[in-house]
Amino acid sequence: MKYFKLPDLGEGLQEAEIVEWHVKPGESIKTDELMVSVETAKAIVEVPSPQDGIIHTLFGDEGDIIHVGEPLVEFAGEEQEDTGTVVGKVETHHGSDISDDDFIIGASSGRTHASKRCTPAVRALAKRMQIDLNTIQSSGDHGLITAEDVEHAAQLHDEKGPLIKLRGVRRSMAKNMARAHAEVVQVAIFDDVDVHEWVEGNDPTMRLVRAIAVACKAEPFLNAWYDGKTMALRPLKTIDLGIAVDTPDGLFVPVLRDIGNRPIENLREGLDNLRAAVRSRAIPPSELINPGITLSNFGTIVGKYANPVVVPPTVCIIGSGAIREVVTAVNGSVQVRRIIPISLSFDHRPITGGEAARFFSAFQDDLKLPK
Amino acid sequence: MSNNTLPDLTMVEAVNLAMAHEMRKDENVVILGEDVGTNGGVFRATDGLKAEFGLRRVMDTPLAETLIAGVTVGMATQGLRPIAEIQFMGFIFAAMEHIICHAARMRNRTRGRLSCPMVLRAPYGGGIHAPEHHSESTEALFAHTAGLRVVVPSSPKRAYGLLLAAIRDPDPVIFLEPKRIYRISKQTIEDNGEALPLDVCFTLREGEDITLISWGAMILETLQAANKLAESGISAEVIDVATISPLDMDTILSSVKKTGRCVIIHEAAKNCGVGAEISAQIAERALLSLQAPIKRVCGYDTIMPYFRNESYYMPSANDILLAATETLNYE
Repeated sequence: MKYFKLPDLGEGLQEAEIVEWHVKPGESIKTDELMVSVETAKAIVEVPSPQDGIIHTLFGDEGDIIHVGEPLVEFAGEEQEDTGTVVGKVETHHGSDISDDDFIIGASSGRTHASKRCTPAVRALAKRMQIDLNTIQSSGDHGLITAEDVEHAAQLHDEKGPLIKLRGVRRSMAKNMARAHAEVVQVAIFDDVDVHEWVEGNDPTMRLVRAIAVACKAEPFLNAWYDGKTMALRPLKTIDLGIAVDTPDGLFVPVLRDIGNRPIENLREGLDNLRAAVRSRAIPPSELINPGITLSNFGTIVGKYANPVVVPPTVCIIGSGAIREVVTAVNGSVQVRRIIPISLSFDHRPITGGEAARFFSAFQDDLKLPK
Repeated sequence: MSNNTLPDLTMVEAVNLAMAHEMRKDENVVILGEDVGTNGGVFRATDGLKAEFGLRRVMDTPLAETLIAGVTVGMATQGLRPIAEIQFMGFIFAAMEHIICHAARMRNRTRGRLSCPMVLRAPYGGGIHAPEHHSESTEALFAHTAGLRVVVPSSPKRAYGLLLAAIRDPDPVIFLEPKRIYRISKQTIEDNGEALPLDVCFTLREGEDITLISWGAMILETLQAANKLAESGISAEVIDVATISPLDMDTILSSVKKTGRCVIIHEAAKNCGVGAEISAQIAERALLSLQAPIKRVCGYDTIMPYFRNESYYMPSANDILLAATETLNYE
C-alpha cells in the first residue's frame, strides 16, 4: 500500500480532526504501532499503522480536518499498485468453478426433446381436462395439437380409463426388452428334467443354481458377454447369476456373485439377503449390474415352459417351471415321476445349437442327482 | 511471448491481444481515445500498444467524446480501420450524434460509395462500485439503431474472437466490454487470429428443460444458476447472445422450441431492454411451443443507484434461480 487513507471510524462519522501525529516523515513504523490520534464528534480515536514501512509524507497538520477516504500518510518506496481502473474496483477471482472454455457456435444439435406444440388455449384446455399433452396424437399442421385432439383424448380417458405412463423399473424393463428383441437372435430349447430321485431336504432354487454352475463349467461360452457391434465374445472368469425377482414395482434382477466357488449355504443366505433388499427397495445399484447368465424361476408362481428373453450382453437365460408329477415311460413301464420343466434361451449369434445343447445336458445331469 | 506454452489471459488482456494482432497484420488499424496511449487505458486494454506501434497509430485524445467519434468516422470513411475507446459507456452520449447520424448510416446515405469500418469500444455495466453514470447498461440504445452491430463478449476467448471479427467487419461495430468480468477469470488463448462469427449466439450449456438467455457479465450468474439447477436434476440450456444486434433468433428459437420454457437475463433496465425484443420474437414465432410464460430477470427501471445499493440493482444468481423455478413449475 502506498497511501493509507482515513478509515471509516464507525457510527457514520465522515470526518475527524488530527489531534497529534506520533510519527514523522522518514521514521519507520511497524504494524499496529500508534500512528495518529484523531478526534471525531464523539471521541478521540487512536489510528494504528496498517503495515510495516517508512513514512514518506504526512497529509495534514495537527488541527486539520480529514474526511473518511482521504489519504493520511504516504509510505516511502512503494509503487502504487495498478488496480486496472480509475474508479471502483475490478474484481479478480481465479479458479472459479464456472467454466465455459468449450461452447457451441450457434445452436446445439440435440433437438430430440422438442416439446409438444399447441396454442396456450389448448394447453389450458388439456390442463382443465387433466390430459397429458405428451400422450396425445396430434392432427394439426406439423404436429400441432388441436382442441379436438384434446377432447378426443378426454373422451377416450372417460370411456376406456386413464393412461399410465411407465416409470422407474417398469420403464427400464420396457426399454431393455425392446432392445433385446431388436438385437438378439433367440432360440429356445425345452425339456423335462426328472428329479424323482431327489432325497428329502433338497432346496429347488439352490439345486438350479448349482446345476447352472456345473453347466457353465462344461460350456463356458454360455456364461459370457457378447457385443454385437464389434462381434466380440467375452467368456467370463466368474459365474455371476442374475435371478429375476418379481415385485409390485416391476422386475428386478439382483446378481448372485461367483456361484461356481461358494458353498450352497452361503449362496442361499446371499440370495435371501438380495431378495429382502429388493423387496424393501434398499438394494444398491451395484448389486443389480453385470450378470453373466440369468435364471427366471417363474415356476414358483405357475407355468411349465416359457421363452425367457436373453438380455444383451448376456447370451443365455434359464427358465424354470413348477415341479409337478407326470405320467411317463421309464424303461418300458408307465410310471408317475416328479419333473421340473426347464426352458433354455440362448443368443444364436455367438452360440451354436450344439454348445447350448451340451450346456443343457450337463445342467440336467447335475439337476437329476439325488442330492 | 513463448511459443510453447499458451498464456492464460483475462478478458481485458484478450482485448489487448486481439488489437495487437490486428495492428501487426493491418497497418490501417489505429487506436484513439482518452488515456489509451501513454497510460495504456484506464482498464489497461491498450497497455503496451503505443510502445509497439507508436503515437501515429495509438493516439491520446482530449477529453472530448464528440471529437473522438467524429474523427473516427472520418478515418473510417477514408480508408483506415480505427478502434475508438470511450473510457466508460456513460460518456458515450456526447458521441451519439456521430455514431447514429453518421457512422450507422454512412453506407446507406452514400448509396454504398462510402462505408464506415470502425469499432467503438466501451467498458460497460455495473458491479465495480463506480459512480452511477459509470455503471449503466445502455446497449439497447444502440441495438435499436439500424446500421450498427452491437457485440458483447462474455469470456476472454470470445472477447478475442469477437473483437477480431469486429475490427475486420466492413461496417461500424459497437463493442461493449462488461468491465465487471474484465479480470474475473482467465482462459488459455492461442493468438492465431481466428475470429468468431458476429451473427450467431453461443450455446454454453446444452440442456432440455429450460433455456436461459443472457449476455455479457450476467453470463456468470446465469451459469451459476444453471449449475444450481443441475444439482436438482434440471438441465438448462445456456445461450450467450453475444451479438445483441442483429439478433440470431434461429439459435434462440431452436432452443426454446426444444425446452418450451425460457428466462431472459440482462443487467440493463427491463423497460424496452433487448430482452423485450427477444421475448417478443419468441412470442411471435414460438408461441405454440411455450409451456410457460417467458420471464425476464433484469435491472430495475430506475437510474443506476450509487454503489452502496448497487448489489440490490444487479440481478443475482438467486434471482435467476427463482425465475427459472417459477417457469419450470408453471402448469
